[in-house]
Amino acid sequence: MHQAEERSTAASSNTVMLFLAWLWVGIPLAWGVADTINNATKLFR
Amino acid sequence: MAAFFDRAHSVAKPGFSRWLVPPAALCIHLCIGEVYAFSVFTKPMVQAIGVTAPTPGVDWTVPQLGWIFSLAILVLGLASAFGGKWVERVGPRLAMFTSAVFFCGGLIVAGIGVNLHLLWLVYLGYGVIGGIGLGIGYISPVSTLIKWFPDRPGLATGTAIMGFGGGALIGAPLSVLLMHRFADATGTGVSQTMITLGILYFIWMFVGSMIVRVPTEDWKPAGYVAPTESARMITSGNVLLDQALKTPQFYLLWGVLFLNVTAGIGVISQASLMIQEMFGVTAVAAAGFVGLMSIFNMGGRIFWASMSDFMGRRMTYAIFFVLGAILYFLVPTFGHIHSLVLFILAFLVIISMYGGGFATIPAYLRDLFGTVNVGAIHGALLTAWSAAGVAGPVAINYIREYQITHGVAKADAYSITMYLMAILLVVGLICNLSVRAVNERYYVQSQPATT
Repeated sequence: MHQAEERSTAASSNTVMLFLAWLWVGIPLAWGVADTINNATKLFR
Repeated sequence: MAAFFDRAHSVAKPGFSRWLVPPAALCIHLCIGEVYAFSVFTKPMVQAIGVTAPTPGVDWTVPQLGWIFSLAILVLGLASAFGGKWVERVGPRLAMFTSAVFFCGGLIVAGIGVNLHLLWLVYLGYGVIGGIGLGIGYISPVSTLIKWFPDRPGLATGTAIMGFGGGALIGAPLSVLLMHRFADATGTGVSQTMITLGILYFIWMFVGSMIVRVPTEDWKPAGYVAPTESARMITSGNVLLDQALKTPQFYLLWGVLFLNVTAGIGVISQASLMIQEMFGVTAVAAAGFVGLMSIFNMGGRIFWASMSDFMGRRMTYAIFFVLGAILYFLVPTFGHIHSLVLFILAFLVIISMYGGGFATIPAYLRDLFGTVNVGAIHGALLTAWSAAGVAGPVAINYIREYQITHGVAKADAYSITMYLMAILLVVGLICNLSVRAVNERYYVQSQPATT
């Protein structure tokens, strides 16, 4: 029972880490892509 | 503290998710990819003294500043070539941290150089010190990713190298934002921007070096069965760097990368001018086109590298060279018939394959030489990038100028350059089709390639 709880805790902390790590790189990248697309629309105006 | 950076201390504990390694790699590549955004500093740096306009004889010139980027790319190639073995030995954590120290330290030294108006200090900072950080950082996560993703090496390395293409998408607007914030009546804000970037990027890269882990020797993904025999040119052995340098495959791939990069640089260096002169679009719209190309350069890295896991590396490069040559050949025609849409589409596909070429090469090397020394071999191969980065633009500009001074119209001069690029890609195709599996006599012992 104790081992199962530990595994569950480890799995959820792993999920949180994954989420945070991808946010850490995803947010700036999404900002950069959005800014570039915004500028690129001038090509079609 | 020093022990923390040891390879032994970065071995993953049971339960570690391998999907944490790509964002760790992205932390490095998204930062060092800033080098592609260096051109945003050019205009403010040529008026560093004059502030509102260049002061002739005192302010730096565009050709003087052009050497900063070239030097950084040249040192990148040298650092990755000579630092590859060291990176393999110490592991990704120390390599990533070292990259952060050099790249961010280089930015800060360059910022001080701009502040003191000492060009040699900017060359030393951004070009040499920063260039070492670029080279070490570029190769540091590659072999680790390949070991974590033996089932999808193209996807894994494509994700990281996508970051290098995407770095400019963050670096350019961030630099503009900071320069706008720091500029005043006495300065353009370049110095403060470079120093701030150095600090911000260091934090970002440091997090990456903290997250990264290497798998244990016997680790493999659930359900994955390593190939027991060489298939589809995927080796079951390992080749060390010294032996790899003796194989024809290394030099054929060097040629493949060199020709793919040279042809891609033909697009990057001329696209903005071409679209303005052939279609009469404004400079602002042309800048938008260049931005769109950056997105396809980034997207092509993950798309083509992932596709290569299914199609095979040789087939993927064959598509680059055949489709690229056809499109280069057609670009002048699109100009003559004034089809802006076809012109843009052609360039976007070409640039996606340019990025795809960078991202697929580590998996190609892994297929041919195994995983043990793939980082070092990749580092050595990146000298092709340095060579193309210097030779490509010089050759293209020289050919174009030669034609114009001999009476060829500007639009036609572009056409001839595009046809030459098509020919280069045909040569690349021949190199690619000549690649065969590495002879087993180059294998080290009889170890299997995959962990």
